[in-house]
Order: sequence, then C-alpha cells, then structure tokens
Amino acid sequence: MLKLKHLHKKLGDFELKDITLDINEDEYFIILGPTGTGKTVLLELIAGMYHPDKGEVWFKDSKINQLYPEQRNIGFVYQDYALFPHLSVKENILFGLKIRKMDETEGRKRFQEIVSLLNIENLLERFPSTLSGGEKQRTALARALVTSPRILLLDEPLSALDPRTKIVFQEELRRIHDKLKTTTLHITHDFSEAMALGSRVGVMHNGEIVQVGEPVEVFRHPNSFFVAEFVGAENIIKGRADGRVIKVGDGIQIKTIYEKEGTATLTIRPEDIIISRKHLQSSAQNSIPGKIVNMINQGPLFRITVDSGIILTALVTIQSVEEMGLKRGEKVWTTFKSAAVHVL
Amino acid sequence: MKKSGVWGQNIFFTSIVAVSIAFLVGFIALTISMILIRGGPNLLSSIGTREIQFAIRLSFMTSIISTLLCILVAVPVAYGMSRFKFCGKRFVKTILDIPIALPPVVSGVALLLLFGTTAFGHALAARGLEFVFTTQGIILAQFFVNVPYMIKVLQSTIENVDPRMEFVARTLGCNRMQSFFKITLPLARNGLMAGIVITWARALGEFGAALMFAGATRFKTETLPVSLFLNMSVGDLKLGLAAATILIIISVTSLFVFELMGGHQFEISRQGN
Repeated sequence: MLKLKHLHKKLGDFELKDITLDINEDEYFIILGPTGTGKTVLLELIAGMYHPDKGEVWFKDSKINQLYPEQRNIGFVYQDYALFPHLSVKENILFGLKIRKMDETEGRKRFQEIVSLLNIENLLERFPSTLSGGEKQRTALARALVTSPRILLLDEPLSALDPRTKIVFQEELRRIHDKLKTTTLHITHDFSEAMALGSRVGVMHNGEIVQVGEPVEVFRHPNSFFVAEFVGAENIIKGRADGRVIKVGDGIQIKTIYEKEGTATLTIRPEDIIISRKHLQSSAQNSIPGKIVNMINQGPLFRITVDSGIILTALVTIQSVEEMGLKRGEKVWTTFKSAAVHVL
Repeated sequence: MKKSGVWGQNIFFTSIVAVSIAFLVGFIALTISMILIRGGPNLLSSIGTREIQFAIRLSFMTSIISTLLCILVAVPVAYGMSRFKFCGKRFVKTILDIPIALPPVVSGVALLLLFGTTAFGHALAARGLEFVFTTQGIILAQFFVNVPYMIKVLQSTIENVDPRMEFVARTLGCNRMQSFFKITLPLARNGLMAGIVITWARALGEFGAALMFAGATRFKTETLPVSLFLNMSVGDLKLGLAAATILIIISVTSLFVFELMGGHQFEISRQGN
C-alpha cells in the first residue's frame, strides 16, 4: 500500500540511505531503531515535510513525491503530540474536519465515533496545557484519526508516557487498530512495543533498514550483531565457524544447524539454555561444564550467569533453582540444542 | 580577618551595583518629572488650543496608518525571514536592518532625494501621490524608520512557534496560508500585539525623518514632536511642554503595555480561560 523505493535524504546530522519498504494495507508496521538514527525524518518524508534527495514514495498505484502534505491524507502524531495550544481539545480534533469542509452530519458522526473510541468525552472543553501526557496522546490520536487518514504515522507514541500509562496505551493502540484498521507506521526504540503491537518490524541502523520481518522472527533470528544486541539478545559470542561447528573461547566447540565458514557471531537466547547438575544426555547437542558466577532474582525467574570459558546467561525458574539448590560458585552444566544456536 | 576582607569586597561590589541602579533610576525619573511638573499644570488649557488639537489629530492619524502599513508588510517579511531558506538571506537581513542603524534624519534626507529629485518620485507625484512636505510624507517616513522594529519583534515570535505545528496542520488539510493564519499567527499573537504597540509609540514620536522629508509647517505637517520643536524654538514653553507631556504619557503607557505583552507566555494567558 505504502511503498518506499530507494529513499535517500541528508538533513544535518541525519542521513537516510536507500530506504526500501513495502507496507501492506491494514498493517501495523513498526520501525525500530536507536534514538538519532533518522526515524522521525523518515516519517516526515512520507508525510511530505521534506522532499527526498533521491527515491520515491508511492501510495497504492500513485507516486506522491510531488504532493504537498495537505494532499497526502496522512495522520501524523509527534512524540510530543504538537497539539495546537490555542485551541481546546474539541477544536483540535475538529480542526481537520473544518479545513476539509466535511459534511456536517457526517463530520459530527465521525467526531463522536472517534471521541468515544478514545474515551475523551470529558476532556473536550479543556486546553492542551492542562492535559496529562496520556490525555494529550489521546487528543493527538483523535485529531489524526478523525479525518480517516490513509495511513497513520506515529512518532515514538509511547516514549513520553510513564510505564503504567504506557502499558495501558499500548493496549489502546492495539484496540484502536483492530477497530479502525488504519494502516499504521509506528516508530520506536523499544523492542517490547514491536513485540506487542507490530505485525512486522523493520530495524533501522545508521539511516538504513537492516532487517524486516515479523517481530518474533527478528527476535529469534537477528541477521546482524547490531540487531541481535538491539532486540535484547544475550549470549552474543564471537568465534570461528567451520561448517556446522563454531569454535569459541578456549577450544570449546559449539554445534549449530546453520552452516558457515570463517569468523562468525553466535547468539543463544537465555531461555533456550538448560542448567543442570549432571551432564545431560539428550537430543540437545551442546553441553558444557562451568561455574555459576552470578544469580539475579527477577520475579519468577532467576538470571544465572555461568562461566564455562565463555560466559553464558540462562533463565531458570525459582522452582528449579530451589530443587537443585543452585548457589553461586557451584559447578553446573549448561545445555542447549544446536537449533538454538543462531549464527549471524 | 581574611573572611572579613572577602565580606568587605562583596559589600563594596554590591554597593556599586546598588548605587548605580539608584542613580540611574533617580536621574531618569527626575528628568521626566521636570516635564510633567512644568507641563502638567497647563496641560488641559493647552489641549484646548487649536494647534495642539491639530498636532494630536495628525499624530494619531499618521501613526495609526503607518503602523497598519508596517503590519501589512512586516507580517509576510517576518514569516519569510523566519521560515524560508534562501540564498543571500544574510544579505537581505542586513538590508532590512539598515533603517535601524541610520540616524532618522539621514533616512529623511534619503527619502527626500528619492521622492523629490528622481523621475520615480516625479512620476508618483504626477499621479497624485505627493510625499514631499505632505501628510503622506510623514506616514512614509514613520513607516521607513519603524518597519524593521516590527519585523524584528514578529520574526523572533514566529521563530518561537514550533514549525511542526504548521506541519501537523498541513497534514490535516491546511495549505501554507491557512496554516499560517490558523496556527502560526494566533500563536504569535502576543508578539504581534507587542510589535504593534512599540511601532505605534515610535511612530508617534518620530521626528528626524519626518522633519527632513515632510517638513515642519504649522497646521500642515505639525505632529506632536514637531509642535514641541516649533514652540520651543519660538519660546512658547507652555505649548511645547504640553506636547512633550502628551508624548511622555503615551510613551510610558505603551512601554508598560509592551512589557505586559512580551512578558506573558501565550499558554499561561490561555490557561485562565
């Protein structure tokens, strides 16, 4: 539906390089990347605040590079909401309808629908400066959605909210998208948002899209060291690959199902590592002895770090820790399947 | 001992600051009060004279018209200077600032040369637009001298309005002009008001450029400052001081209003609604 073809843009310190993306109708697409990587500039390019230096923006079958922002029918919500401070919440929301001279009955119906969907009936007469972060967020969303945009662009919509409001609002965003089915492009630096909301995610690094896929897929199979680190992968270990064996640390051989030669980085998710007292004979093909160097209680789980010549972190339930009587300094085995060893 | 030395130095420095402030406030207040004390008692009877009434009317008329002209021109110029990028912008900015740096008398002479001695000026005059030694001349002189101030005040206010506000308005369907009138201008309202007040007050007191360009003729181009000048130069202290008193009252009032406008942030003023 929205197609970006080889977009380039240099703007001060930001540079977007060869951005190519294809966003489907009704999709909730997340662009994930660290702060300062040019994500906002990308949204502003799509909305028409800037012209790309090179490349094209397509909507369905028409190229929209040359269209003014007001001709693109795009909903835009900034991180700080950019509500019009001199207008009440109601006037803010009605702004787009009035400008587009929408039929009054239809406009009123749409207004009511959006206001009740976002649950802001009681805010309508207030001014932006008196609203909380969450209330501003709802108002900004309502203002963008009321004009039935072809695509909704959200610039870090949750990052200015406190953690509790954030969780609530994340659910709201999902509910709103389920209801209205507005194609949404949401940018964030927080992978958990991508996991919770995104049907697909594109990871951005230094102005480039480095990986696109379903969030679980990206999380499970990061295609680079950067993505692995950014989506919160642990146990990132460098070594030398020789077919389906990777040599790491001091002569440790780790088996994998991925074939590679030469320098390689492997990742193993902590939840894929089993910790035991004895050497396990199972279908798991890697079993390495080591010593517990750290144990951190994280609610129902323990995060246990084992030094086996390489440092591995595993997640273990409290129950298992108690049953095995695990303590710091004790000898244990770390066991994981060859399929759990991802090679970058 | 050392400590008391530091203490002594601090007291010394604070004293210098305090004395300087006290001296300057006293000096200004005393000077201004001289006019109010001398001019005040005769103010009402002077206002009754035909000459002062003429000066008041002419001053108000010319200053209001020139202020309106300033708004008309300064709003788009200030917008362009704060929002558009173009080559030679620094050069344009310097040109726009020239009237601020020039002594108004020089501006007056320049206007006189342009409209009085060139084919351009004669062509305008032939079409009925006579500026030299006329009321229109006063207006033009006030406009020329004051428009840069209006631009400066407006430009800094517009620069303070987040351009993303305009952009969001455009995603909602506004064209550039609509987003300017519906978003930027209302948000720059205080700056605009402050600009109007300061420009008007300066126009009312404009003397040098108007004197050169429009002349100082009784009952013709006699604004309040010109009236003050004419009456003082023939020794009519009573009428002269009346004009001065009126000018002081207007200046101080508008300074006060200006501070009020500039000191208030828009959001705060709107919170009370």
